[in-house]
Amino acid sequence: MQSKLSDIELIEQTLGGNQSAYADLVKRHQRFVFTLAMRFAKGREDAEEIAQDCFIKAYRSLSAFQQQSKFSTWLYSIVYTTAMTFLRKKRIDTSSIDDDESYIQIEGKSSGYDEYNVENKSRSYYLNQAIEQLLPDDATIITMFYKGEQSLEEIAQVMGIEANTVKVKLFRARQRLKEKLERNLKHEVKELI
Amino acid sequence: MNSIEEKLWDYIDGTCPPAEQEAIATLIEQDEVYRKKYNELLQLNMEFASMEVEEPSMAFTYNVMETIRTEHAKQPLKATIDKRIILGISAFFVLTLAALLIYALSMVNWSAGSGFKMPDQLNLTQLKVTHISSYFTGPVVKGFLFFDVVMGLFLLDNYLRRKSATR
Repeated sequence: MQSKLSDIELIEQTLGGNQSAYADLVKRHQRFVFTLAMRFAKGREDAEEIAQDCFIKAYRSLSAFQQQSKFSTWLYSIVYTTAMTFLRKKRIDTSSIDDDESYIQIEGKSSGYDEYNVENKSRSYYLNQAIEQLLPDDATIITMFYKGEQSLEEIAQVMGIEANTVKVKLFRARQRLKEKLERNLKHEVKELI
Repeated sequence: MNSIEEKLWDYIDGTCPPAEQEAIATLIEQDEVYRKKYNELLQLNMEFASMEVEEPSMAFTYNVMETIRTEHAKQPLKATIDKRIILGISAFFVLTLAALLIYALSMVNWSAGSGFKMPDQLNLTQLKVTHISSYFTGPVVKGFLFFDVVMGLFLLDNYLRRKSATR
């Protein structure tokens, strides 16, 4: 059972020497931190290593947390930096599956994927598959925006860029995600036929 | 930010100013192209928001906390000892030594050796040399000397460490 205390209260308890308070903080944020790590690592083992590393780093520098931002924003900035370092170290191929950097504008054309009725796999499966095919930065922005309860300004703080740049990146990331989703569903339908 | 799609995303996210928000709302109501695109993006938005968050392994929290605990345990004992304790022990021994020295000196009969005369011929075979062990009788004195030696070695070690650190 998770603690009902706020993040700040748990941090204060941790700094006071109560390690179980930090365990509660880890439990509270582990799913999202792990998801963010997955956007970079593409493998559960590596993602878990990154996520664990982030929580240990956060513990070490907990006293340096100024409380000027949300704890989650501060924690995600550690995740982002750690994951980027991991990518540099491992030299993972960060390009998307089709190596297509530029997105194709599909205007005046209705979204085709909702015309198909693919019964054997859930829509969330295709969405996750499409997210996995995105560049880490795109996948991170989309994940933080939709699941991390982070505003554009907070995402900008995490990534160390301007809020306007995040806005543009988010727009492009959505476009790419939409394309990938459509492509994957079309491919699936072709296979079924 | 010019395309219809960009404007509509801003409208959905609520990131555009109120005046623009109103203008887009009117366009959605009146313009068929805007309405169609808006519905499409709204559906996409709902879809994106429904993405699933990944679950780490069951032992995740345990592993994190175990690593933190191990790091704490690895801290050298030297760093965890309060310096005041060491100073206290040192002060105790210094004071005891000083008190013993003062007591010993006060017991010495300084005038006893004034009439000493060297023998003309020193017969070494008859000379009675008091064995040093006779001075170290009694378990309390032995214990005290043992602690003194340990303390001396400790202080010497400390001194040598500091000396090598400054180099």
